Amino acid sequence: MGCELCDILAGESRAVILYEDDTTLIAVRDNVLTPGQITIFPKHHIPILEMVPENILGHCAALANAVSVAVFENLGAKGTNLLIRNGLGAGQNIPHFGIEVIPRQENDGLNLQWEPKQLMEDEMDRTFVLLKDELAALQGQKEKPTPAEKIAEQKEVVSEPKEEKINEKEKPNYLLKSVKKIP
Amino acid sequence: MVDAPPELTEEQRRELEKKLKSMTPDQIQQLQKQQCIFCQIISGKIPSKKVYEDHSCLAVLDINPATRGHLLLLPKEHYAIMPQVPQKELEHLFSISKLLSRLQLRALRVSGTNIFIANGPAAGQRAQHFMIHLLPRKEGDHLLPVKDKLIDPSLLEKVKDTVQDRLSVLLGKRISSRKEDSTEPASSKPELVEKEMKKQQKPKKNRASKKREIKEESEEQKEENSDPTASLDEIAELFK
Repeated sequence: MGCELCDILAGESRAVILYEDDTTLIAVRDNVLTPGQITIFPKHHIPILEMVPENILGHCAALANAVSVAVFENLGAKGTNLLIRNGLGAGQNIPHFGIEVIPRQENDGLNLQWEPKQLMEDEMDRTFVLLKDELAALQGQKEKPTPAEKIAEQKEVVSEPKEEKINEKEKPNYLLKSVKKIP
Repeated sequence: MVDAPPELTEEQRRELEKKLKSMTPDQIQQLQKQQCIFCQIISGKIPSKKVYEDHSCLAVLDINPATRGHLLLLPKEHYAIMPQVPQKELEHLFSISKLLSRLQLRALRVSGTNIFIANGPAAGQRAQHFMIHLLPRKEGDHLLPVKDKLIDPSLLEKVKDTVQDRLSVLLGKRISSRKEDSTEPASSKPELVEKEMKKQQKPKKNRASKKREIKEESEEQKEENSDPTASLDEIAELFK
């Protein structure tokens, strides 16, 4: 209920299914940035990128690449954009992870450009340190036993499904938290 | 980003064209590499702020970012556009994108990230080196001010008819082969994913079957890769 992509899977949508396998669906939706846009998404209701298991993410990427080639060749696109909108702040309007393949033409009126900025040197340095520190923290965590990531990716999924569910619940909470922190 | 080269005379231009035509794809790729600013960043000839690096890719802070913390994830190998990137490498790049996105969410306290790829100048691609943009996002930052809109449902079938044949060739004719599953109740979906995970992980335990699978996969890839080459040239042409 309320998830546009789950509705497609359930056959309760006007979207047209292009491809389907055990884990993943490719569909042409009617609520898009531009006609010809194609969405690749896992069947499982996974809200954000950080929760998508590695194997499914890789599969979605490979499918998106194939879609991109097909769109180049058969839809006469002069270019393609791939876009993941991850989180409310990023314009995510469906609570279900998906990769959008957007066919492009010269002067098609679609504005996916940003204004390049010039940041102060010290702001760049600060950002760099923040990211490096966080990476070190994340990688440090990975060596500890039973981090959420490892469970989601490895065999333990089968033997410890309960733990995985707990971790999945923790992750969206984290995201929500980060949303609440915004002034 | 780079200073434009001086204008060529008509004669020089023709000569260059002739030269380019006589070059093998490998040679052309070598030439592109030499002139690619991002290859020079990767080799360290141009300094950069490297946030993440491994054997096959590098993530740096964009020097002209859309916003604070804008990262560029670059494969170390020079590819002009995504279809040229081998599947395994692309999968790795997406996996690292996930890591970097998490990094941005946590370190920069933003409420979202965009993973963005541009293939071809019409899509806004400015450099000839394939890359993934990772944009930290906050509500109201108006970075990608695009809105979904409803399109005529008749267009959906048209898109399907136009694309499906080519897609099914690219994906090895696996299209819509599991219709019966789509009618299963929602409650069975988690099991479905777990089942699939089990399937994909079992080979790891069994080396012999893993090897076999890799063999099959590489053959599959060869087929996939050999197929679209003709049109890839066309796409690469778009840069000229």
